[in-house]
Amino acid sequence: MARETRADGRLDWSISMARAQAGDRDAYRRLLDAITPYLRALAARRLGNRSDVEDAVQDILLTIHTVRHTYDPARPFGPWLVAISDRRIVDRLRQQGRFNAHETPLEAAHETLSVSETNLQEEAADARMLRDAVEHLPAGQRDAIRMLKLEELSLLEASAASGMSATSLKVATHRALKKLREMIKNQEA
Amino acid sequence: MTSTSDVIDSLVADAKPVRRLQPPALRALCWLMFAALMLVLVAVGHGVRPDLMLKLHQPDFATSVVAALTTGVLAAMASFIASVPGRSRRWLLLPAPALALWISTIGYGCLTGWVSIGPEGLSLGETARCFATLAITGIPMSLAMLIMLRYVARLSPTPVAMTGSLAVAAMTAAALSLFHPLDATVMILFWNFGVTALFLVLSGLYGKRLLEWVAR
Repeated sequence: MARETRADGRLDWSISMARAQAGDRDAYRRLLDAITPYLRALAARRLGNRSDVEDAVQDILLTIHTVRHTYDPARPFGPWLVAISDRRIVDRLRQQGRFNAHETPLEAAHETLSVSETNLQEEAADARMLRDAVEHLPAGQRDAIRMLKLEELSLLEASAASGMSATSLKVATHRALKKLREMIKNQEA
Repeated sequence: MTSTSDVIDSLVADAKPVRRLQPPALRALCWLMFAALMLVLVAVGHGVRPDLMLKLHQPDFATSVVAALTTGVLAAMASFIASVPGRSRRWLLLPAPALALWISTIGYGCLTGWVSIGPEGLSLGETARCFATLAITGIPMSLAMLIMLRYVARLSPTPVAMTGSLAVAAMTAAALSLFHPLDATVMILFWNFGVTALFLVLSGLYGKRLLEWVAR
């Protein structure tokens, strides 16, 4: 009987298949294990989706099993294998085409809906602009705005934390808001 | 979802010894012998057309019959060879030259034979017998082809089924012109083209499903 490995030490698929046709289960398992990565590469070249690739590989293996009697060991194994796998990959592509015809991919642009929670991206941009503007305020006004508006402390807590009187905090906040309004208006213009 | 290694396990567990297919040319020969047997049976049962020997001496009739038979033989070879995975799809073009010759003989006869359409034409009885011959030769040949090529259902059924049915149609058309006195060229045209078109359309539409059904 012919040796199953070739001169370079790799499995000779043609001889393995011939043995599998005769009912040699070990040769059949070695063959299927050896061709699976090859089939996966063939499928991955045409199909993008990973689970589709795996489905295609399993489809090809099943087809090989059903038509294994059509292989003639006198002919090369490669074209036989590729013809079968092309069939199954094309099937899978057609199926993908049919499936995708009814689907619309969800993109960022589709999320701008009337509900405010869906427009988080715009809110994030607004928040960044405000934070930048706060950074440019004079130190006293900046602290007042941070404590009273951003951290939402009460006047008493804020005056205890900063050592400023309640009245001067109120004045600073008032001036800061006025200034912020101007800065943002300038930026938008 | 089952993992690929589970699939391999179940396939290995199911790996019973299989009988290899005979070489495609040999299998085509078997089918052709079956087709020839059908033609002989019809010839014995129905008898050839009374003026066959006379007609065979007419070059255009002889060419047409030979071209139809050649188309049948080549189309049968083509479908058996191309049905094996890994063999070139170009084999399906094998019957093309004979088919072109066959169609051109019909067309030539049609162009030169307008005057021969007499008022008496074909009787209804002859047409009915033509249908009988068509069914008796065409159905067993198609069934044999379907069974012999059932493994192609999971491969590329439609082109192979269409070439196979071209073989059946060509053989049937040859049988019709050998057994029935179809002298009106329009009728010959109708039978030849009609039979071919019928088989091609049916196989194009249902070839895949029929093969899948037989392969089960």
